[in-house]
Amino acid sequence: MIAFILKRFAQGLLVLIGVSFATFIVAHLSGDPVELMARENATLQDKQDLREFLGLDRPLGAQYLSFVTGALQGDLGYSFVQRAPVTDLIAERLPATLLLAAAGFLLALAIAIPLGILSALKHNTGWDIAITSVAMIGQAAPGFWIGLMLVVLFAVEWQLLPVSGSGTPAHLVLPALTLALQSSARLTRLVRASVLEVLSADYIRTARSKGLRERTVLFIHAFRGAMIPVVTMAGLELAELVSGAFITETIFAWPGVGRLAVNAVAQRDFPVIQGVVLLAAVFFVVINFLVDLLYVVIDPRVRLR
Amino acid sequence: MSLTRTWASRLAIMASLALVPTYVAAQDAPVVIASSEDVISLDPHMLDSNNPTGSVIWSLFDSLVRRGPDGSPVPRLATAWERIDDVTWRFTLRQGVKFSNGEDFNAAAVVTNFARMDTAPFNSVQQLHDQTGLKEVKVIDDYTIDLITEKPTVNMLYWLAEAFIAAPGQISTVSPDEAATTPAGSGPYVLGEWKRGDQITLLANESYWGGAPAVKTVVFRAVPEVSSRLNELRAGTVDLVVGITPDASDQANSDVSDLVQIEGLRKMHMGISIKGEQPALADPKVRQALNHAVDVPTITATLLAGTTSPLLSIVNPPNNNPDLAAFAYDPEKAKALLAEAGFPDGFPLTIQWSTRFDGGKEVSEVVGSYLEAVGIQPTYEAVELAAFRASLGSASLKGIYFQGWAALINPSVELVILTCGHVDNSSGYCNPDYDKLVIEASQTLDDTARKSLEFQAQAIIWNDAPWLYLWRLPSFFGISKKLAYDFRADNYLEPYLITYK
Amino acid sequence: MTQVSVSTFLRRNVIGLIGLTILSVAAALALFAPWIAPHPPSQVNLTARLLPPFWVEGGQISYPLGTDNVGRDVLSRIIYGAQVSLSVGGGAVVIGAFVGSLIGILAGYFGGWVDAVLSFVINVQLSFPFTLLAIFLLATFGGGFLSVVIVVALATWVNYARVVRGQVMSVTHQDYVEAARSVGVPVAQILWRYILPNILSPIIVVASFSMAQAILTEAALSFLGVGVSGTRPSWGMMLNDGRTYLQNAWWMTAMPGIATALTVLAGNLCGDWLQDRTDPRLRR
Repeated sequence: MIAFILKRFAQGLLVLIGVSFATFIVAHLSGDPVELMARENATLQDKQDLREFLGLDRPLGAQYLSFVTGALQGDLGYSFVQRAPVTDLIAERLPATLLLAAAGFLLALAIAIPLGILSALKHNTGWDIAITSVAMIGQAAPGFWIGLMLVVLFAVEWQLLPVSGSGTPAHLVLPALTLALQSSARLTRLVRASVLEVLSADYIRTARSKGLRERTVLFIHAFRGAMIPVVTMAGLELAELVSGAFITETIFAWPGVGRLAVNAVAQRDFPVIQGVVLLAAVFFVVINFLVDLLYVVIDPRVRLR
Repeated sequence: MSLTRTWASRLAIMASLALVPTYVAAQDAPVVIASSEDVISLDPHMLDSNNPTGSVIWSLFDSLVRRGPDGSPVPRLATAWERIDDVTWRFTLRQGVKFSNGEDFNAAAVVTNFARMDTAPFNSVQQLHDQTGLKEVKVIDDYTIDLITEKPTVNMLYWLAEAFIAAPGQISTVSPDEAATTPAGSGPYVLGEWKRGDQITLLANESYWGGAPAVKTVVFRAVPEVSSRLNELRAGTVDLVVGITPDASDQANSDVSDLVQIEGLRKMHMGISIKGEQPALADPKVRQALNHAVDVPTITATLLAGTTSPLLSIVNPPNNNPDLAAFAYDPEKAKALLAEAGFPDGFPLTIQWSTRFDGGKEVSEVVGSYLEAVGIQPTYEAVELAAFRASLGSASLKGIYFQGWAALINPSVELVILTCGHVDNSSGYCNPDYDKLVIEASQTLDDTARKSLEFQAQAIIWNDAPWLYLWRLPSFFGISKKLAYDFRADNYLEPYLITYK
Repeated sequence: MTQVSVSTFLRRNVIGLIGLTILSVAAALALFAPWIAPHPPSQVNLTARLLPPFWVEGGQISYPLGTDNVGRDVLSRIIYGAQVSLSVGGGAVVIGAFVGSLIGILAGYFGGWVDAVLSFVINVQLSFPFTLLAIFLLATFGGGFLSVVIVVALATWVNYARVVRGQVMSVTHQDYVEAARSVGVPVAQILWRYILPNILSPIIVVASFSMAQAILTEAALSFLGVGVSGTRPSWGMMLNDGRTYLQNAWWMTAMPGIATALTVLAGNLCGDWLQDRTDPRLRR
């Protein structure tokens, strides 16, 4: 088992190196950030001075090395555009994104698990068809479109919730709901499929024939078995949520890392782009790693392989 | 019985306490200003946007001379000035001014600050040295300095307005990080707190040389969506809103707020790239045809809800030549002109826009549909902002492009941008006769003579049509009914001029 | 084959039929757009801007779903938009399937360090926040039709690679394939006769889902302003245009969103149905 963990850890590390390299190359391929930083009618000499001042005229290899050595020490570089260390910029906004992702995640689970179980128990009845259809539509509609429609309904027409921004719990509702809806659509169908599969499994039939009460059968045996694939998916969904937050944060003016990143792309702010992508990659890799670990712990079949 | 009385009296006390803060707060509540973005940096020499960064810097720092709303110079840290000879301006400095960190303001402070503005990275953002040809700051005594330029210029006062003075000791020793976050200025406000990406709080400087401002606490908040800014204005959580689109403008009127519209200074136009991919654009007849093909009055009546009118010159009122008239909407004449120029079947044309100005895509599509009606074949292209600015700088855009040019009331500055090879001349227009007139005018000190030269220059360039003339961008603001303030057309806000009604 | 009554056939395959029907309608709209659309999609009409759908007060029947901010007919733009959405989706699927399957075959068949390297690349891609990468690539290199197709294909090739790799691996370890390899049958022949037939159906299933994903991705990219530009309307571009008019012209956003959702739903339904039909483990 230790070997398994170490191997996964090493793989994760390699992936991170790969990501940092890819980000660096792509960011620098895109062109000259000095164009956006200097005023519109700056002289060529002024722009060259700026390039030297920022160290952008050094060879690419040297720039990459200083990026990596800095990142390892927790220093993600300095944002030219915002005149602030990237680490500070991200740290200021990370709590907002985490709050949104967590709220979206919990909301998604709160919607998906009960609906999925209900749908499985009432297999092939009207309930099931209704829930599955809604889930399919939820999966099909673009997430940001659902968000915009929610804004039209709740904020513009009925004026129940604020259009955008942050600050009060009311501001969290629409963005979290937007994030949650697409995830919950996927998760509902997964929960349903998983519960159905488990319910027809042998060990459940055994439990039933032993005469155990239906409720025990359901909650203790079926639920545990069904949750294994759900846990795996849920972990990956959380990672997806953080990435989906980019668009949601832009629509709702949520002051999180996603908006920081989208603005940084528009302003060619290399250090911020590199920092955010690296951070997201770390997040992905860590979540995947934890999910792998969890999988090993929960599912004895994996351990024996 | 006594218990009830105790409770009753407690409730009464709580109730009255609850009322008191409300009463006090009405007069001392912070004035909240909502803009579409947050302040970028508090370094006075990295100012590159009028609002909100510019407005905050103007509150924290001072410059020698300020531009009044009508363009005339207002004395600030300089109390008097005169031209000693063609290339020398002498300024008398204000005495008894202290920076927020205790340092004194004097001639040495000006020298230190101007020197910093001329070094990287500030010289790629600052315009003072490049635009005026400033080459030396000579100290005559502690409160008198001479500014010496390479060649005569009439624009010294104009460009001094954004040359802010920070405490010299602090600004020359502090790291760039700290310069961006710990301002030491002599302005009417000092920094309270800055939550990056969200909001910044300014507190009144009670010992300001011009008297403490009426509004004691000012908060600048970043609220990106127009609809959110307006909703908050209507809800009373925001007192001033900047950046409202014409379509949404009437929403600024509510029980607690008013809409204010100011005549804009920004001249929106489709720049015509003479050295671009379409050689037809080099012929003035073709450019005139483009102008006749588009029905600008209808566009301003519909897309802009009638809030503005077509351009009448490349110079803004009151300095525009009154004999010039907008090109009439006349598709037949346009087709005739095209045929005369040798393009009876039109030609392909790329129409580009960037995210720099709102509505670029919309306007480009509308202009394109009018051009299609006279035989031109448009293709549309959204250009990424940095690439757009690079193309502007090298005058290498493909066809026509949505652009807006703003300057304060100063015909010399407005005319010079279309001289041959000027750094702002993105169309590649070059007419030596025009250049001669413009240069002569900028060096003519007699007002009447200068005006006549400027009118002549305007007439030449108007008919040569280096632009597809559109309109002046109107500025809309929303203001709470509790406040009184006269907005500026250049989008700078001056919170120290806000008063309570 | 047993005789199956029409009603039984319909009942068993209703999901797939619904999906196919919707996709056929979308394809028909795209193909016959010039004959079906009531107006040219780019016809600007400033006097008829921001008209609501005909069932709302102020709407006109000649503009059934309303007009946009410069007076263009929403219905016509949706019909023509099907062309862009479907061709981007189709193009991305073809490229993604080709590239992804190729990589999956290489990784699965040759194993060893080839597999290690390719799996590493797959993992790196999966760890990238894709949205950001897409915005970045398109914003800097321009949003032509081909660029968008390639970027969207980038989003989906990984799905094919993983599925194909798994399938190829399991087939490669079968006795008959091992035997063929040891006897010296050329690689190309092994791939053609044994591997390819076994991966076709998983590829088709993935293709169905990834077509849906491709359309969604294109919508998201256009929404962020970096999608297909130019004169041709796309559903995502319409969603983006409608964003600033959310408060006074909700139909500009609602209509293309519904069109997108229906088409994506159709792709998912087909994928589900194909999966049910081809994967014996899931027979219920």
